[in-house]
Amino acid sequence: MSNKEGTYSVYWPRGERTLDVQPVAPRLDSLSGKTVAFLWDYMFRGDEIFAILQTELLARFPGMRFIGPDEFGSTHGEDERKILAALPEKLKSLKVDAVISGMGC
Amino acid sequence: MLRVSAVAEKAGVPTASLVSQGFIGQAKTTSFGLGLPDLGVALVPGHPDVQSSEELEHNVKSVTLERVIHCLTSAQQGMETVAEPAPRGVVFEGTLDEVNRYFYENLWTDGVPVVPPTLERIEAFLAFTDRDPGEVLGTMLPENRAATIWNIAVNGVMAGCRPEYMPVLVALVEAMADPQYGVEHSGNTPGAETQIVVDGPIIKELGFNYEQGALRDGFQANTSIGRFWRLYLCNVAGFQRHQNDKATFGGTWHVAMAENEDVLAEIKWPSLCAGMGLDAGENGVFVSRFTGAHVIVSVYGSTAAECLPYLTDAVIKHTGWELCFTIGMSTGTYKPLLVLSPIIARTIAKSGLTKADVQKHLFEHARIPARQFEKYISGYTNIVPGRRSLYDMVMLGKAPKVFGASRDPERLVPIVIRPEDFMIAVSGDPLRTNCYFFSHNGMLGFPTAKPVKLPQDWRAKLRAAG
Repeated sequence: MSNKEGTYSVYWPRGERTLDVQPVAPRLDSLSGKTVAFLWDYMFRGDEIFAILQTELLARFPGMRFIGPDEFGSTHGEDERKILAALPEKLKSLKVDAVISGMGC
Repeated sequence: MLRVSAVAEKAGVPTASLVSQGFIGQAKTTSFGLGLPDLGVALVPGHPDVQSSEELEHNVKSVTLERVIHCLTSAQQGMETVAEPAPRGVVFEGTLDEVNRYFYENLWTDGVPVVPPTLERIEAFLAFTDRDPGEVLGTMLPENRAATIWNIAVNGVMAGCRPEYMPVLVALVEAMADPQYGVEHSGNTPGAETQIVVDGPIIKELGFNYEQGALRDGFQANTSIGRFWRLYLCNVAGFQRHQNDKATFGGTWHVAMAENEDVLAEIKWPSLCAGMGLDAGENGVFVSRFTGAHVIVSVYGSTAAECLPYLTDAVIKHTGWELCFTIGMSTGTYKPLLVLSPIIARTIAKSGLTKADVQKHLFEHARIPARQFEKYISGYTNIVPGRRSLYDMVMLGKAPKVFGASRDPERLVPIVIRPEDFMIAVSGDPLRTNCYFFSHNGMLGFPTAKPVKLPQDWRAKLRAAG
């Protein structure tokens, strides 16, 4: 209780954020000639959506290259932590310029 | 999915995250929690699973495509950050009603009035642990907030716990923070709820109900500790209503269940915690998320052979889409929980069966036709895409051999991949013949057990607490 009768001084029930806010990676000037990796949780028709996006992007941006989700494995299965831990090195070794990640449903 | 994007962005690779309409709000709060509030989100209109191929193509071409291009090539707009209170700071002063209104408006409650977390009350909880209030037990996803002894006490006060429950609360948060449990999945759309199970002498010391009405609210230890779990998920992990908590329906938090240790000792069966690596007789907590629960009424029989067929039938009937955790989405993580009332456990044990024998029986007899299994994971649902048969998955090394003994769609296959995946507990009215079955949420709340560590002078402190 506080020194005022009938009132309570109460404390914050949350926890301190442990991550500082960071900027996202620099964006690309164009998608032409770039390599895009599709990463997938193997849910909600991502495979069909990736195929549509690939066709449309290729038609608009010449020279694009695509790497499918099987190269990485499911990002929402029992191996999620292992796959995420290896991801930066994998993206680097595959010379990936951008990632399209799905599906949030 | 956003966690993937966050890792890529931190590695210097720009991303576009495909998010359906219903997840846009969660994407924003999750991005903030990941420390990247400017993560690029590309909308997929509606929900893909209910669209025809033509509708899906139209939506992706007309909406998603441009957003993907924008996410990858245009600078993202900066999101404003909001200053937060100091972790151990006073946030408000007011009457009981004013405190509760303030906490409710800030999404810090479950909608029911809380006990005001004053310094005096928090310190009473801290007196029941030898650990430093500032000690960090882990980082809670999705908001990446620190789980501390201090904020355990604050939420324990709010939930209506007694100070002497503090050692149990600390053990529960250690379980919640364990990566094996997977707290980050707690806001998923099936809306599964966590079941806490308590084992050890602390059951009697703290007055847990473990007999009639074992899952009913009304007993302070069982009820307030169950409520604490939900408040901590909300306030520290960050699963707030209509934010990161995306349960389609959801459910109220579950009352903590205590096992009947007397009966377990009598029939020489290990407790749930003892079966998960804790010492026999050690105080412990068990947590796992379950998609639903069902009572199995009036089990009839004087022997194990007479009782087990009905229990086996119930185990089969209450397992459906969850089979994607047996094979497919996260293979080998389906671990349902069967709770036997003491009189049924005694009847089965009287026939000479150990708990392991019952698990083996369920593994060998709780089986369904392969075609039915395949329908649940990739027919009625599209949870495991590709429409592969179980036989093909075995051939590809993605399923154990027992699932691919032949190509016959009528062959019977198990619903878990190993006998011990059937978890068994003993609780409830000692003289009633009803049992209970919890269907499991697989890796999205995987079974985790932790010991309850008592402070020095526990008994003296307990006596003083009255």
